[in-house]
Amino acid sequence: MTRKPYRAPQRWSWWLKNPAYRRYLLREATALPLFIYALVLVTGLYRYTQGQLAFTRWLEALQAPGWLVFHAVAVAACVLHAATWIELVPKLLVVPGISGRSIKRGHQVAALIGSALVLGAALVSWPLAGGAS
Amino acid sequence: MSDSIAIYVARYRPGQDEAPTEQRYDVPLSTDLSVLEALNYIKDELDPTLAYRWSCRMAICGSCGVMIDGEPRLGCKTFLREFADRGELHLRALDNFPVERDLIADVERFMDHLETVKPWTVHNSERPVSEGEYRQTPAELERYQQFSQCINCGLCYAACPQFGRDDSFLGPAALTLALRYNLDSRDDGSAGRMAALNADEGVWRCTFVGYCSEVCPKDVDPAQAVNRGKVASTINYGLNLLRLARGEHDT
Repeated sequence: MTRKPYRAPQRWSWWLKNPAYRRYLLREATALPLFIYALVLVTGLYRYTQGQLAFTRWLEALQAPGWLVFHAVAVAACVLHAATWIELVPKLLVVPGISGRSIKRGHQVAALIGSALVLGAALVSWPLAGGAS
Repeated sequence: MSDSIAIYVARYRPGQDEAPTEQRYDVPLSTDLSVLEALNYIKDELDPTLAYRWSCRMAICGSCGVMIDGEPRLGCKTFLREFADRGELHLRALDNFPVERDLIADVERFMDHLETVKPWTVHNSERPVSEGEYRQTPAELERYQQFSQCINCGLCYAACPQFGRDDSFLGPAALTLALRYNLDSRDDGSAGRMAALNADEGVWRCTFVGYCSEVCPKDVDPAQAVNRGKVASTINYGLNLLRLARGEHDT
């Protein structure tokens, strides 16, 4: 008897049919707002090289409601990206004698301390650098 | 609780069907009846033409993997009581494999990939039996024991969209078995397995979806194994660069 195996094609909507796939694509999609945010920052640096007026205009343009909403989305994407990444660290970093849970906790604490230090440094250096004036 | 449950099975009869279509069977419901036992009931009492695989009935042989309401699961380890409230469940052959007939998936591709990674202990030189067995400490056993629990059921392949997109990807179980033997103190074959891990079809095809570990019925955690394979592949790449810089051959 001849065989006639049926091959189901993988449709574009494969990720919609399972919550695990939807979570995965949401995690991957966090790269998009972060990419746009990086472009915004690079634009700011470029404006900075063009002089104070150009830089101030760039800062003012970012006060528009659309950009504020974008920044909120970018922060949420960044937090989700970090949280899901740290969740996966124990699968990559396996240290004999240290539990995956401890490795995860260590990364969470390090991420919080690191973020606090960067934020603290920015808040301290902002007035020293002359603030918004 | 109703006294029966509707089981919709995706039937595919290669002689007469172009694609699978669902057929409904009503099976008497009891709290201790597994999906596999329900299939046996259908085969014995309702429709002897239904085709599916099974053997041990205790999650050891890995034969009875099917998609149950869209999730890859073992029929013997899934009970009808879980679906009693809804009163129905849907079965089809494992995703990402060609369907041979009804609930039987053709897992040949997976078997080929398994062979590629040489899932056995490789010895550079065979010891005479008179020298005794290859001994191992409990700590050495601990390093790979979790990964040795794999029963080759193929559920992780049905869960892997990368394997679904391109079945040349070695996939979760084969890469897990590669790590399992690489971590075994009695094995000398890790250098030989690195080529398969480093290849286009190897560990780097994995995008860490992680669903393979969620569906594994033996808690093997293939996502961990594949991604530890990426760490090993990166170290291997660095060492090879060093070797080439020193004018030696890479391995």
